[in-house]
Amino acid sequence: MDSGLLPILLLTLRVAAVATAAVAVPAVLLGYALARREFFGKGLVSALVGLPLVLPPTAVGFLLLRLLAVDGPLGRETLGFDLGLVLTWKGAVVAAAVMSFPLVARTARVTFEGIEPRLEAMGRTLGYSPLGTFARITLPLARRGLLAGTLLGFTRALGEFGATVTLAGNIPGRTQTLASAIFSAQQVGDAAQGDWLMGIALAVGLLAIWGAERLSRERNR
Amino acid sequence: MTEPLHVALRLPLDRFAVEVEITCRHPVTGIFGASGAGKSSLLEAVAGLRRGARGRVQLGETVWLDSSTGVDLPSHRRAVGYVPQEGLLFPHWDVRRNLLAGARRARAHGQDPLARLREVVPLLELEPLLHRPVATLSGGERQRVALGRALCSGPRLLLLDEPLAALDLPLRRRLLPLLRRLREQLTIPMLLVSHDPIEVQALCDALIVLRQGAVIAQGEPRAVLTDPAVFPLAQREGFENLLAGALATEEGQRSARVRLANGAVLTVAPPPGDPDSREDVLVGVSATDILLATEQPRGLSARNVLPATVREIRAFDHHALVTATLTEGGPPITVEVTAATPGQLGLTAGSPVFLVIKATACRVYGRRAG
Repeated sequence: MDSGLLPILLLTLRVAAVATAAVAVPAVLLGYALARREFFGKGLVSALVGLPLVLPPTAVGFLLLRLLAVDGPLGRETLGFDLGLVLTWKGAVVAAAVMSFPLVARTARVTFEGIEPRLEAMGRTLGYSPLGTFARITLPLARRGLLAGTLLGFTRALGEFGATVTLAGNIPGRTQTLASAIFSAQQVGDAAQGDWLMGIALAVGLLAIWGAERLSRERNR
Repeated sequence: MTEPLHVALRLPLDRFAVEVEITCRHPVTGIFGASGAGKSSLLEAVAGLRRGARGRVQLGETVWLDSSTGVDLPSHRRAVGYVPQEGLLFPHWDVRRNLLAGARRARAHGQDPLARLREVVPLLELEPLLHRPVATLSGGERQRVALGRALCSGPRLLLLDEPLAALDLPLRRRLLPLLRRLREQLTIPMLLVSHDPIEVQALCDALIVLRQGAVIAQGEPRAVLTDPAVFPLAQREGFENLLAGALATEEGQRSARVRLANGAVLTVAPPPGDPDSREDVLVGVSATDILLATEQPRGLSARNVLPATVREIRAFDHHALVTATLTEGGPPITVEVTAATPGQLGLTAGSPVFLVIKATACRVYGRRAG
């Protein structure tokens, strides 16, 4: 084994957790806006949000790389400082976040669309401000759907490969996650390492599915 | 005296616009009409839930909507207690928490929501439900909770949108006395949307009839419903003459008697339940279930033969509505006959008649009835 399994697992979990934490609130708010509000450019926003789902992940990674290149719009020469995302674990976080954002936002949108808008109107007739209605009616009713969506986003971030290797690389001990480590193991023919990594991926995946099932069962109860 | 409510609205809908101008000075004003007449939309516009409503809505001195000066208070600043047809209870809260959902506004209006809760719970018979999740409630229970929630929220105006329409008929009739009790304790005005002629007669002081968004009649409920322009609709929705009285079943009797407010006594089929109890009830008699006789008939199975005087005869289509008052006094009773009948019997306003009513044609609406 070239590198320990534990550091790979820990880095993978850290990347996915940070990416999910960063994505959850904005994605949920955007999902709410798409479900309940009319605003200028809604169609465009909706399309942009869905884009990472239909593009090859490597294309997304490459796009991020171009944006972050030294002379790119988000590069050192434009901003005056270096965001430090290329070939770093933070870059892996950004790649995972961009790839899981659409999943969280879309599930949130569907969840909010499934909530009877007349319940919200009812709240307003009882004196709740729009914000109060969101906090006391909409959010509690959406809770399980939002949790399930966030879990989905987390699993997407865990397994992210294409955009991550393109932006952050596959550097053992620095940016190598479960997905890219399995790829490396296969490339160098290290079947034992590959088996272990696959086993871990299976365990994490099953755990996530079990959690999501539990959430959706409770919602339907 | 409740605060007067002035509503002058124009609200465009898909196929027509609701256009009304009404001033409600009575505690309970009914809005009657066929489904799709714009009744619920009107109520939602008053609650501030409809975009595109233009005109003026004013309760007492408070202006909620005035398009000429750009005033359009959002729903949460209008202080309405809204009870929709489907209840719309909050599924993530139990009954008690639903009842207290508007507690914050109640406090802002200087009311103690817990004190209000203690009044409302016995009134609406909610005690056994307080800690139940709302998903386990029956239709009638839901509507009672929705009503209680509105009452505990410190409203200045109650808006009831077909509060009983989703329930089956017997249950609707059983909840009627409860709503009448509520009505007596009410100190704020109420708008009640309904397509049930019995409900509006039992609960409303004044009635407005909407057709395609326009007011086609308004006034005292019974008079409005028996207006030839309204009566066909009222009849289709199950119009009955409604008489208030006290029910008494005497022991050993196979029938029950209702002593009407004016002293006349009506024999009715005894409703189920404790035969010795006395209670205030409403008796409903369809306009087509009453016979008119110019002389006292003999040898009839009908148990009620009541002397009366014809007050008014109005024709519509191929029918005529004969309205008479009992000699002993009380509210007018309307009888539907064919257009030729009044002429054949020689009836005109002032003619003495006998109203012949079968005991089994009298429907008793009370707590044990139904």
